[in-house]
Amino acid sequence: MPRMKINVGPIHPSTHGVLRLIVDVDGDTIMDVEPHIGFLHRGVEKLMETRMYMQNPSYTEKLDYVAPMGWDDLYVSAVELAIGVEVSEPAQYARMILLELQRIASHLLWLGTLANDLGQMFTVFMWAFRERAKVLKLLEDVTGSRMFYVNFRLGGLSSELPIDFEDRTLALMDYLEEHVREYTYHLDSNPIFMERTKNIGVLTKKNAIDYGVTGPVARASGIDFDVRKELSYYMYKKIKFNTPVLSNGDCYDRYKIRFIEIQESINIIRACVQKMPKGSVKGAPIKLIGQPAKIDNIIIQHRELPRGEGIIYLVPEAQRPYRIALRSPSYINLSVLPHLSKGAKYADLFAILGSLDVVMAEIDK
Amino acid sequence: MSENLEPPYTVDEFVNAEREMTRLTEASLKKYNKNTNVMFGKLSDLTREMSKGVVNWSRKNSLWPLQFGLACCAIELMDFGASRIDAERKGYLLFRGTPRQCDVMIVAGWVTKSMVPRIKRLYEQMAEPKYVIAFGECATSGGPWWESYNIIQGIDQVLPVDVYAIGCPPKPENLFGALMKLQEKIGGKIDRDKERGITESIEKK
Repeated sequence: MPRMKINVGPIHPSTHGVLRLIVDVDGDTIMDVEPHIGFLHRGVEKLMETRMYMQNPSYTEKLDYVAPMGWDDLYVSAVELAIGVEVSEPAQYARMILLELQRIASHLLWLGTLANDLGQMFTVFMWAFRERAKVLKLLEDVTGSRMFYVNFRLGGLSSELPIDFEDRTLALMDYLEEHVREYTYHLDSNPIFMERTKNIGVLTKKNAIDYGVTGPVARASGIDFDVRKELSYYMYKKIKFNTPVLSNGDCYDRYKIRFIEIQESINIIRACVQKMPKGSVKGAPIKLIGQPAKIDNIIIQHRELPRGEGIIYLVPEAQRPYRIALRSPSYINLSVLPHLSKGAKYADLFAILGSLDVVMAEIDK
Repeated sequence: MSENLEPPYTVDEFVNAEREMTRLTEASLKKYNKNTNVMFGKLSDLTREMSKGVVNWSRKNSLWPLQFGLACCAIELMDFGASRIDAERKGYLLFRGTPRQCDVMIVAGWVTKSMVPRIKRLYEQMAEPKYVIAFGECATSGGPWWESYNIIQGIDQVLPVDVYAIGCPPKPENLFGALMKLQEKIGGKIDRDKERGITESIEKK
């Protein structure tokens, strides 16, 4: 067969955003993939330097629009380090519950779209969105917004939790645990889904370390690394939870690991609700000129985002960041795509890309 | 074989024949009296008016949006297509992957300078009549990125926008409302051409 190049994107239903791929194919076999990024670049890091500290969460949230709260938490906790603000214990538990709810919502969206990419048209997508809508409703009632919350303040949250928050959360967890299990009927016992994910796009442990992937993609390749355990922040050290690790590193494992993570998040939320002490979770209100940050120290903050490890590098000025650099997990995870898809069939390209779970706004920044 | 494929007439003959046909039709029309002509004209006007309503009615109740997400708002667009809001009951059918089958382009997200030619091209590929909805702050005015060096301040600098849905991001219900507004526009309750005329005059300035 003659070799030819196929252009995919930048606007394509399966590229999960505005990603352009130039695929070099020999017949049906992929010889090379060249991702072109930058169609969403808007200069976030530069814009953030022009704003006061607490104006910036509305920028960081739009980095990863599938799980905005993760970046919000990462940025606000970096600022807390810079200024030297302690977070009260109830607020720490409240933040953990909200972050895990956000992780569940993010993984549910990913699950639905992956099933769509693999030809499981709309059944799992509809189910996942049904569950996600319930999670978002709870988050909306807590924060006042459906998608972009901006509810993290220095030392806590923007407002107190609703009175029936604990009951509603526990009821939602029961609902999720029951319904998320249903997906296995459509995915794990579906021969088409299994054939299109098993042993496709295998990432070995050595390659995963070399490329520097993090999060579920790394854990599916057998790397036992979770920032929640390694650099145990908030109250994660007081709660028993597992970080699932699988060893094959193929698309199926990358699907399965997120599936187990949803169940693990449910356990974390239940434990948090049980252990959460009574008290105010409200943080300091936003002031344009607030408490000044210490100028001479450089802040590096890590967080486990739904897509991997996010790092923020912050050189503080008194009232606003002097320099900010962001390490987005999707960017590093996307760099494996050419390696994984070499030698695969053309139809598997979207299974591989979908299983990496990239968000383009986070990559282009 | 090649001899058989040649047309049985030259180009000149074809053009002449066409002219001759027109002349003959005009001459035959002159033979009828004036009253019949007026009646024919009124009848055709009437049918056109009547079919206009039918055409607009069917047009507004079978809108095919383009599956085209840019940024955050595309997530709410997905929610719009999912089970919570049953949009098909109002005539918004499946999101299509190709612009050639679509009527509505929903611009969901911020528009960078490198995306402008691509969006323009997608718009040009859509068949007339076509409509544009600016979904969200970024597509309306640039949103939080309005002072960025790589963003255009709203899609209306490039394409004629029919309806704006405002929010960051707008709820799926808001998009539903915007599409119903668009239906009113297509159905003739809002004068679309007049509004477009206003935006065009602003553009010219």
